[in-house]
Amino acid sequence: MPGNGIPQDSLRRLGELGKADIVVGIPSYNNARTIGHVVRAAQAGLAKYFPQFTSLIVNSDGGSTDGTREAVLAAEVGDERLLMLSTPALPAHRLSLAYHGIPGKGSAFRLVFQIAEALGARACAVADSDLRSITPEWIELLLRPVLYAGYDFVAPYYHRHKYDGTITNSIVYPLTRSLYGLRVRQPIGGDFGVSRAMLRRYLERPDWETDVARYGIDVWMTTIALAEGFRVCQSFLGAKLHDAKDPGADLSAMLHQVVGSVFLLMQEYEPVWRARQGSQPADLFGFRFDVGLDPVAVNLERMLAALARGAQDLAAVWSLALEGETIETLRRLARDAVRDPTAFQLPDELWARIIFDFAGAHRSRPLERAHLLKSLTPLYLGRVASWVIEAEKLMAAEVEERIERLCRCFEEQKPYLLARYAGQPGARPVLSKTAPEARPREEKMEVSP
Amino acid sequence: MIATVQQVLEMALGRLTQTVTAFVPPLLAGLAILLSAYLIACLARWLLNHIFKGIALDRFLYRSGISSLLDSSGRLRATRIVSTSAYWVILGAGALTALSAFNTELTTQMVATTVFLFPKLVTAAAILLAGVWLAQYLGRGALVWASNEGIPACRKLAAAVRVVVVFVAVVVAADHLNFARSVFLAAFILLVGGATLAASIAIGFGARGAAERCFEPRRDGELSQAERPVWHHL
Repeated sequence: MPGNGIPQDSLRRLGELGKADIVVGIPSYNNARTIGHVVRAAQAGLAKYFPQFTSLIVNSDGGSTDGTREAVLAAEVGDERLLMLSTPALPAHRLSLAYHGIPGKGSAFRLVFQIAEALGARACAVADSDLRSITPEWIELLLRPVLYAGYDFVAPYYHRHKYDGTITNSIVYPLTRSLYGLRVRQPIGGDFGVSRAMLRRYLERPDWETDVARYGIDVWMTTIALAEGFRVCQSFLGAKLHDAKDPGADLSAMLHQVVGSVFLLMQEYEPVWRARQGSQPADLFGFRFDVGLDPVAVNLERMLAALARGAQDLAAVWSLALEGETIETLRRLARDAVRDPTAFQLPDELWARIIFDFAGAHRSRPLERAHLLKSLTPLYLGRVASWVIEAEKLMAAEVEERIERLCRCFEEQKPYLLARYAGQPGARPVLSKTAPEARPREEKMEVSP
Repeated sequence: MIATVQQVLEMALGRLTQTVTAFVPPLLAGLAILLSAYLIACLARWLLNHIFKGIALDRFLYRSGISSLLDSSGRLRATRIVSTSAYWVILGAGALTALSAFNTELTTQMVATTVFLFPKLVTAAAILLAGVWLAQYLGRGALVWASNEGIPACRKLAAAVRVVVVFVAVVVAADHLNFARSVFLAAFILLVGGATLAASIAIGFGARGAAERCFEPRRDGELSQAERPVWHHL
């Protein structure tokens, strides 16, 4: 068994195990309150759906001080009769290890992948440690397409509150879809299933010490799978209910790390996305059902104030990326928002253009990247405010339709991105037709257990 | 009497002839050199404008932000910089050669001083340019940070950062040139000392609460109430 970067103290324990067919990784940092549930769900899922396989649950911890690792090792499924198994289930092996290197989710994943590779795992799933809605079926849905249907990467598909996942809805999903041509609805969902080939590709990569080591990991995984031609699908997991995202961290840093990672990967895969046009639906497994969702509180006033402040102060920084005309429009919108917040709207076309302009500037001005990404915060908050106002009265299906419209706008504006990326400052945006009707979604394929 | 006048006139004429003989040829030579230098400089500028593309240099200037620093439109091209630099260097060299044609103590000293100072001047200019670039960079960083944090008067804060960094660059450049060293150093110490004192007083009295909140380690799972609603829905 090769060491391949696994800490020495962990190697001995892996040596005892020898090999495993399935590895489930759970990154954590001070998640004692919720991780027990995630471990139990993983254990139950492995016992119920994959009893014939040798399985290992790995908790990759970032130095928790609240007893997270103890909670992992203490978690038990309880009365196995409740799982209604036909044969007695062997409990999955469990390990709780501390990862080394840059603190972050990406570093935690790296250790999980190294262990999976070292044990010769055929499939690996990762799940966030703050999930409250995870069930044993999640493990099945993330692993079965890899083990039985030949997929390399399984992305999650959740129901989320309309105000939840706004980085995904407003930036990462539309951008990833318009670039790489596959409609992976939750590219930074955080819960994935991957094949051995995919694992190896990840571990070969040299960029683990960048933002990938932090919050950039999710989009990094998805993008590599999409851009390098791996087989990608989605699994419907139900609702995603989780704790407030990484409390204690600088949450604005998340935006910069995620968007920075998307932009960096755009540069690497430029020939790939230049050649792709439009988008195709990704295969979606799992039985879809509606669920109740936790309400999400938003502070509209504060978001609009952030936009107004940005429009007043950051024009000099924005001018590194945006055309003067765009900045003027933003200023006007911010001024109008102060007068009448409820009428505020940041149009899709303008938003797509802003993101594409920032992507172009991120490429052409490497020394200014940090400033550019940080100056995106007020614009992002403005877009979220616009979304909150617009989606206030929308039902779930209408919300999806609205996001679909935004994605189509990104796809229509792609020629503008191509021009900006080629360094043409005066590239004109593509004028969209009137708001198009939603195309009917293709029937999704269901997988039989 | 007439002979004396004639003798004085002859002497004056002789001195004038000597002066003219001594200075006019070098003057003419100097003018010729200067004219030649001007023509060569113009030719070099024209040639560089038409031949030198400087794509790599253009990319460096754009990516480093130097082009937007030197020209607010951000469209300064390497071709223009190189051709203009070549023009002035050739013209300067021509002027020095023209001066040296006089071969006097004063002109020799002027040429020697210029030649001696030239590398130092170039270094000082580079220090200043680097200082201005750094000031711009740090000022921009301060501006974005302050705006995102909702700190009032963030543009003034950014301007203050820029002024301080440029001032430091000026002090270093002046020190390198050995020019008014003590004046700049004293001003610098006064500025830094004053800023430190002001910050200490502000933290000590005016912003005690903010400083407490800033330095207090954040407990796990805790976000300020003001922060939570904005970020909860990421």
